[in-house]
Order: sequence, then C-alpha cells, then structure tokens
Amino acid sequence: MQVKSEIAGSVWKTIAETGADMAADDVIIILESMKMEIPVVAPKAGKLTQLHIAEGDMIAEGQLIATME
Amino acid sequence: MNWDKDIDEIKQRRKLAKQQGGKEAVKTHHAKGRLTIRERVDTLLDKNSFDEIGEGAGVPAYNEAGKLTDFQPANFILGFGQINGRKVIVGGEDFTVRGGSPNPAGLRKSVYTERLALQYKVPLIRLHEGGGGSVGGTNNEKDRRPLGDPVFSQSRFVPLAETLSSVPVASAALGPVAGLPAARLVASHFTVMTENAAVLIAGPQVVKRALGHDMTKEELGGPQVHLASGAIDNLATDEADAMAQISRFLSFLPDNAWAYPEKLACQDKADRCEDMLADIVPTNRRQPFQMRKIIEAVVDKHDDGKGSSFFEMSRKYGPSLITGLARLDGESVGIIGNDCMYYAGAMTAAAAQKLRRFVDFCNSFHLPIVSLVDEPGFMIGPDSEKAGTIRHGTAAISAVLQSRVPWASVQVLKAFGVAAQAHFGPDGYVLSWPSAASGALPVEGGVAVAFAREIAAADDPAARQKELEDMLAASQSPFPRAEGLSVHEIIDPRETRPKLISWLRLAVAAMQTASPGPYLTGMRP
Repeated sequence: MQVKSEIAGSVWKTIAETGADMAADDVIIILESMKMEIPVVAPKAGKLTQLHIAEGDMIAEGQLIATME
Repeated sequence: MNWDKDIDEIKQRRKLAKQQGGKEAVKTHHAKGRLTIRERVDTLLDKNSFDEIGEGAGVPAYNEAGKLTDFQPANFILGFGQINGRKVIVGGEDFTVRGGSPNPAGLRKSVYTERLALQYKVPLIRLHEGGGGSVGGTNNEKDRRPLGDPVFSQSRFVPLAETLSSVPVASAALGPVAGLPAARLVASHFTVMTENAAVLIAGPQVVKRALGHDMTKEELGGPQVHLASGAIDNLATDEADAMAQISRFLSFLPDNAWAYPEKLACQDKADRCEDMLADIVPTNRRQPFQMRKIIEAVVDKHDDGKGSSFFEMSRKYGPSLITGLARLDGESVGIIGNDCMYYAGAMTAAAAQKLRRFVDFCNSFHLPIVSLVDEPGFMIGPDSEKAGTIRHGTAAISAVLQSRVPWASVQVLKAFGVAAQAHFGPDGYVLSWPSAASGALPVEGGVAVAFAREIAAADDPAARQKELEDMLAASQSPFPRAEGLSVHEIIDPRETRPKLISWLRLAVAAMQTASPGPYLTGMRP
C-alpha cells in the first residue's frame, strides 16, 4: 500500500519509524504547509515498510511518502 | 370477432421488451458484477412503483406472413416512480442492447427524459451506462434519406440545460459512460459513480490513435480521476449504495424550483450544546483541527440517534472546502466549511468552482446556507496563479453575494483577504467564536512583508518580528469587532447550534413569505 501526500509542503518531522505496526490514522510524518503542521496518516492498519522522504524534503502533491503492507 | 389477438400481442411484446438484450447478454452483464437497467430501477424505486413509458418502443422483426417474430427493445428505459413516496422520473441506457449506444427507439426515449421532467416538474434521475453515437449512425444512417435532423428542430441540450434551474437532477455512472451519456451525466446537481465505472469523452482506442497514450478506460476516466476532476461528486461502494446516495440527496430537496424544501419533524434537541466545541480549535495557530467534527456536532443527528444528518458532496474535489447538505431543526440547509488539513483551507481554483456551483445549487432549491469559516485567503504560489484562481475565486464571491437564500456565517478561526468575502452572504447572520481572527492577511505572512525594514534594523530581528506578530494578532481578536457590531454576536462555541436554530426559524419564515421560482443570474467574472 502506497501512502501519498495530498498536499505540497516540506517534511517538518518524521514520527513513525520503518518497521512500525501502524493502526489506521496513526501519524507517519508531519508536513509543514501554508504555515501549518499537517499530519500524513496511515490510511489503514499495517506495517510501515519504507519511508521515502527525510526531514526537510520538499514534497509535491501526490508524492510517495511511505510504503505499508 | 374481437380484439383478443391484438391484446395477446401486447402481452407478447411486453414479454419481449423485458428480455432486454437476451439471456446471454444479461448473463455477460451480470458476470461483470453489474445490474441490468431494469434491476437498477427496481433497486432505486419504492416497490412496484415503476410506471414505464414507451415499453412498446423498439425494433420489430416479422416473418413473411407478417407475424411478429422478434423485437429488439429500445435500449433506454424510462418511466415515473416513487422514492420514499415522492414522485420522480427515472431513465437509463440498457447496456445489454448495443452496449447502450442508442438504437432509434432508445434515442427517442432518451431525448424525451428531460422534457418529461420539465413538463411534470418532478426530480429527475438518470442511471447511465453506455456509449454515445456510433460512427455507423443510429440505424444504418448512410442509407437513410433525408439525412440528419431538420435545421429547425430543437437541440436536446436545450431541455438538458433547463432542467438544472427547474428540478433536482441526480445521475449515476454505473459502468463505462462515454460521449453524450457522459455529457448528460454531468448535467446534474449530484453525480455518483461506482468503483468499476468510467466516465470518458472518448475511449482508449480513440485516445491511442489521436494522442498515442496507451491507457485503460479506468486510467482515463475512473473514480480516481473524476472525483478529483470534479466531474463526479461522490464514490459509491456498489450500485445499491449509489441508489441510496441518490435517495438521500433528493430527501433534502423540494420537487422543483417552484416549491420550498419540506421541514421534517426533528428528534434532536434545538438547545443541544456539545462540550467538545469549546476546545476543538487549538490555541497554537500552527496546529490543524477537524472542521467535519464541528459540522457534525452542530447539525441534526439522524433520527435513529446515530451519526449526523450531514451528507457531504464532492469531498475529493477542491478539498480545502467542505460542501454538503444537512438538516438543522428539521430544515434542509447547505453547509460550507474550510478544511485546514488542505493548504490551511485556502481557496484554490477548484475550491472556488466547487463553492460557486454549490451556492448556485442552494439558491436554485431555496436551501439556507450555513458557512463555518476558517479562510486564510486565496491559495498562493505559481500553481495557483497558473490555475487562474483569482478569476474563479472572484466568480465564487460574486455567486455568494448574488445569493438570495438566508445565510449564516460562523467565524471559527480565520477570515483573511479577499477570499473571506466568499463566506459571508448578503444580509447574513454572523456569529464569532473567541478563536476568530480577521484582517487583510494572516499575521505570520503579513508582518514579515509590511515591517521588513523595521525587523531588519532591530537588534534582535526575530524577537522584533515575534513582538509585532503578537501585537497584530491581538488586533485581529473578535472582541473589538463585537464591540463595533461587526458581528451579530461573539459566542461560546457550545452555543452554536441553539443560536443558529433561533436564526433559522426567523430566516425561513421570512424567506417563505415570497413565492419561490427558478434562480437565474447574469454574467460573472
């Protein structure tokens, strides 16, 4: 399962670590966009297998943030 | 001598019409996980309420003795029926005959649909699955003379356009929908599509030939594309859900533009105050909150006590703005709210077009509007400029200020810039939460620009910027505005529902002193 960002912004903080078991709506990272802290959350429960971004990265709309299974 | 033979033939013809494209075609259709048009109509309507029009229309085949041997029914099913006891007209293509591409009788019935809705002024529902015209014509057109429609005939798009200001129109895409059926689909106030539907101007083969793109019809026009494009409002989990969403949508509306929506008995208390509203907005302006939770706490609960009456539409299109229908004190209302999870709730070009369409829709069917405001302004940046946001945004503001329905605005947090105007209708009732902040633009951006020299010259520029920001944030407070009667009332957020209901009772009584009718406006930016 691919988790994509619905907005553009920069990665303010990564919250979850690779390998973590996530529940639905658990926060993966927090983006800074339009001067607000916007969480990117797990759409469903599952294991976070890969984070494709790092803190400080600029993110485009639709960009791949994480892979879950 | 009597009429028995002819009466028998009527029976036989009705039986043949019900066969649709034949057993094999129906089987193939079911194997794709789809219902036939007749099954769809039965799912949508109250039991046994379908009153068909033109069941006998079709293409007959006769033997040498002149006896009817076969009959290809019109591949568009049309008729009146009832949804929760209310009269509607319903029509849709029969995909099992020619893949829904019109046969001559099907075309006539299809074109008649909107005219019937206009004549009897009842809500119109179209259940689409089919293609448009074939290059071969509707029926061996190359041999037909005279060719084409006479120049004085009326375009089918005349009644299609007129329905939108006259009766509620809801349509579903329940399979591939292309060409003319796709155009009719979107000529609606509400559109819903199933997961396995696709909406296309032209299919994959035509696209490949013209542009070289090798794409499936789902990639070209599946739900992922059209929920975001705004062509389709909502996704349905299956066909039954699509019908349920159409029924729910229509439940908020009058039969036509010449009537007001019906008020329902309301089980939910008018003075219900939800404690969670008191601290749902974070004091830290960088942190977002869930506007939908506010909406759900304020509007009526479902009569079963579970969930809310809020029915959201177009969630994936222009998602910084929330639009939907709800009941408040049993009255139908349109709800607007900013969603700060998307670009702080800023108005994008898509959000502006969504707002304009929604406000025009509410005006067409006399729905008071409640706006929950957290507007930071128009979306900024190169993408927003390229999208022409300023023009779409100004058109939305024009639509709001041309509005003639009662309008209430609850300023939850931000109301900044020109875009804030899109949340306050004419002669509106304005409530302000203590968290409200208004001005030309948010302090965080504005201070750095307006006081650039002063900040640069300070011994500690960061400290001076913070000081200026705090000072200006205080000036954006709602209290001085309440003192100046710039808002009707500054309220405890928990009082939002009772305050809105008190206003709505007055506003609806005042609105209904006038005779309702279609809503037509002039040109906008």
